[in-house]
Amino acid sequence: MADSSGTTLMDLITADPSTVSASTSSTTSSSASTQSAPPYAASPPPPRGSPGLPSALGKPAVEKRSKRAALMQIQNDTISAAKAALNPVRTNIIMPQKHKQKQKKPVSYAQLARSIHELAASSDQKSSQKQLVNHVFPKLAVYNSVDPSVAPSLLMLDQQCEDRSVLRYVYYYLARILSDTGAQGVTTGGGIPTPNWDALADIDAIGGVTRADVVPRIVNQLTTEASNADVEFHARRLQALKALTYAPSTNSEILSKLYEIVFGILDKVADGSQKRKKGVFGTKGGDKEFIIRSNLQYAALSALRRLPLDPGNPAFLYRAVQGVSFADPVAVRHALEILSELATKDPYAVAMGLGKHAEPGGALQDVLHLHDVLARVSLARLCYTISRARALDERPGIRSQFNSVLYQLLLDPSERVCFEAILCILGKHDSAERTDDRAAGWYRLTREILRLPEAPSVKDSSKDKAQKTRRPQPLIKLVMRRLESSFRSFSRPVLHAASRVVQEMGKSRAAAFALGIQDIDESVHVNTFSETLDSREIDSSEASHPESIRKTSSLSTGVGGKDTIASLLASLMEVVRTTVACECVYVRAMVIKALIWMQSPHDSFDQLESIIASELSDPAWPATLLNDILLTLHARFKATPDMAVTLLEIARIFATKVPGKIDADVLQLLWKTCLVGAGPDGKHTALEAVTIVLDLPPPQPGSMLGLASVDRVSACDPKSALALQRLVQAAVWFLGENANYAASEYAWESATPPGTALMMLDADKMVAAASSRNPTLAGALTRLQRCAFSGSWEVRIIAAQALTTMAIRSGEPFRLQIYEFLHTLAQGGVQSQFSEMHPSNGEDQGASGTGLGVLISPMIEVLDEMYRAQDDLIKEMRNHDNANKEWTDEELKKLYETHERLLDLVSLFCYVPRAKYLPLGPISAKLIDIYRSRHNISASTGFERSSCCHWNF
Amino acid sequence: MILAVLFANSEGNILVERFNGVPAEERLHWRSFLVKLGADNLRGVKNEELLVACHKSVYIVYTVLGDVSIYVVGKDEYDELALSEVIFVITSAVKDVCGKPPTERLFLDKYGKICLCLDEIVWKGYLENTEKERIKRMIRLKPPTEF
Repeated sequence: MADSSGTTLMDLITADPSTVSASTSSTTSSSASTQSAPPYAASPPPPRGSPGLPSALGKPAVEKRSKRAALMQIQNDTISAAKAALNPVRTNIIMPQKHKQKQKKPVSYAQLARSIHELAASSDQKSSQKQLVNHVFPKLAVYNSVDPSVAPSLLMLDQQCEDRSVLRYVYYYLARILSDTGAQGVTTGGGIPTPNWDALADIDAIGGVTRADVVPRIVNQLTTEASNADVEFHARRLQALKALTYAPSTNSEILSKLYEIVFGILDKVADGSQKRKKGVFGTKGGDKEFIIRSNLQYAALSALRRLPLDPGNPAFLYRAVQGVSFADPVAVRHALEILSELATKDPYAVAMGLGKHAEPGGALQDVLHLHDVLARVSLARLCYTISRARALDERPGIRSQFNSVLYQLLLDPSERVCFEAILCILGKHDSAERTDDRAAGWYRLTREILRLPEAPSVKDSSKDKAQKTRRPQPLIKLVMRRLESSFRSFSRPVLHAASRVVQEMGKSRAAAFALGIQDIDESVHVNTFSETLDSREIDSSEASHPESIRKTSSLSTGVGGKDTIASLLASLMEVVRTTVACECVYVRAMVIKALIWMQSPHDSFDQLESIIASELSDPAWPATLLNDILLTLHARFKATPDMAVTLLEIARIFATKVPGKIDADVLQLLWKTCLVGAGPDGKHTALEAVTIVLDLPPPQPGSMLGLASVDRVSACDPKSALALQRLVQAAVWFLGENANYAASEYAWESATPPGTALMMLDADKMVAAASSRNPTLAGALTRLQRCAFSGSWEVRIIAAQALTTMAIRSGEPFRLQIYEFLHTLAQGGVQSQFSEMHPSNGEDQGASGTGLGVLISPMIEVLDEMYRAQDDLIKEMRNHDNANKEWTDEELKKLYETHERLLDLVSLFCYVPRAKYLPLGPISAKLIDIYRSRHNISASTGFERSSCCHWNF
Repeated sequence: MILAVLFANSEGNILVERFNGVPAEERLHWRSFLVKLGADNLRGVKNEELLVACHKSVYIVYTVLGDVSIYVVGKDEYDELALSEVIFVITSAVKDVCGKPPTERLFLDKYGKICLCLDEIVWKGYLENTEKERIKRMIRLKPPTEF
């Protein structure tokens, strides 16, 4: 509530003295504005009266002035302020008119509350009403709740006062007292935070009035009024009912009372003819009885809409169905909203309940022309739910009636309604979406035809025009035309929504391709479908609508050019792409998401790539939106795993262009899913795409001295450089963790030990041999080796760890290759020459030259131990062979213990499957098996036992 | 659900706020998010020109009317276009009460009436009345349709 200068809303509202004095004489805007008031903002008056006066808001206000206070602070302040206000010293500032012109201080809550008490009890009704309406009530609205002790006075006013404006405020405040759940500040309204009144009352500060004391009285009073059938009272009746709905729905007693009132009203007014009489609303003073009934219908349905839905209660459905043909448009909207919610639970019952309403010329058809956007939105949802309900499989006629209404909503003048209809057709669900619904949605959109039913009302007038608009049209054409015109709009919400619709189209299209729906060919002429469909339908339904169909087929062949779905989509996407020029970054984000979804795996993505690359150069993009787009890439991949590489390429643009803004976790998630989902054929390419990040020269300390190369432009500021470095670390870690998976190279799966000949090769030849054997793993190794030498300190550490992981998991010759490399690294190797050429970056390079010696030595040790144990084993086996001796149990036990010990050791560095992993090499398998079977150790219990040991150790 | 309706002055002071179904601890976040959004984007925007934002599945439509900026936040059926309808009803009502796009002073002078209008427009998180004349009648305790 406080800004930098610390003014509270109450300061603002009471700042101008002239309007305070004016408020008693007149409330019209003209008089207030003619007072030529000094702008309050220029001089927010400090609370001058503070000294000597225990001003309620004075002290906190001063504190606030120092700085923008946190909400908690305000709340604490207000609690103390409210406590202070409980013993008011000052006389009522409202009554003495003359003083007011001098006093310019904010009015405290306590003063307002007290004024209500005094004015409610005042004998001079006229003047007190004026003060209430012009001064007290408006200012009280500033607070986020009203304390229960005001309620008796409000109820007194409710019963005695006749001024409509006062009464309207009374209902407003009674509703607020009812809605206050008692918790501090948790009312529907915001405003200046107020204390927890009940808590205050409990400590007997306010005079002990709690909500529990007053709520029953309020409810009783409002219930009586809401049940009052007096015609003259009916406006108050509506407001009383409305206020009652604010009572917390957790109170079952009040709730059942409300149901009783609402259904009681509907029992009286809902039955009977609802037909709108022509001119009732156009001319003054129509049928009074009809209007009152309509008002009550409205009030009852509005209240019903706010009550918990009770699908088990048939009255809900019955009254909501009646509501569709009520005269009041808002009532119709609520009826449709209730019905569309009921339909998600029991579509059959709702469809049966609506019965004739859904037929051509029925009430639902009338809603199409109802001047209430949200009513038509609910109509779309209702029609969608029923037309897709499996429960109605046996009643295709009913389903198609609702479907026909849904398709007609595509022609709705409101974008909101038309887009809702498109989303429904596409199979979008708010929750629990199914791929086949989506796929079917795309099929419907691209194949089906809108045919308007012959409505009896249109027959008489303007036949030519009607015929022109009523010709059957493929849905896809209608939708494309509509979207293209929406994309020409200047309204940002419209552009945003249109892009969102295109995104949803992309989702359904991806689902259709994923499921391999037949007949999905996008190069077929759109009109061909309509012709075939027409002819098919003529066969099936000739008997029912021969006339309209005949007209249909002739028209559909007569017009329309050579549009294909592909060409329609291409022209739409052209418009979508131009929308990326929109000033609003949220619209642009939605456009990019739409483009990502509409991108198909076989198309070139150069255009998308360049759009994204140029967009990311704009610093205006907030991080949340960028991460949102990354998540879109993720979802897009899940829909179409073929796109792994394309999507990883796009993700790379994010990593390099805006490393500081994207979440490394989100990126890693994308990498991981793409790698796992890419399948055996795509794994190599997917891993390559991830590691492209590593090909960027990592930011070196030197780059901050102005040596930045062009490649690194995007990471030129220290923050981005740091973020890029973190991404590189993430990529290095990812590579170490997943290279074996991508390369399908596991030590425990390579059946044959490498030939001795291979082991005898020198290092260069070994590398060549390795890379021909498994290029994926060899490529990953090369990248990691480069990182271990020339990366930043952190990257080098992670690269060394990644290499160790690979060494442990890979078979030969890779393990040996890495082992050799680690040795070189520990000794300084190439790096020592490297660092001579470059000025020291200030890091302690350490005696080893890479600074990694200390870190690497345990890694080398574990490999050393493994190799040593392997050598020992080979030696032992040779001894046994030569002496032609069997292995004794003691010897086997020793061997097995070594195996287990090494497993424990290896597990400290990375995960390996203990049941399969053989630290002593494949040759040990046989002996380990013998020992295990002799001693009834299963591989898995061995794992358990040793893991226990490990932790106890 | 209409999650929030906020009015702020040009300095980012919140003048009116109504939350529905937003936990108390998230309100501060929304308040500062919206005020920042306005500070970043509303400069030089014409009266009633609609701006849009979204955060996950929550939509925000906001605009300027005179000295006052208005924000509406919604989800589910209250998407950016439904919120555009809501904000249109709100701006029309405020203009009607104030007689023109209000200065801040004028807005504060009409504060009570504006709260009553809002009470007729948004009712427990749902849009209620949309017609200007009807709202005008109802804040004077007259029935929605006169006879």
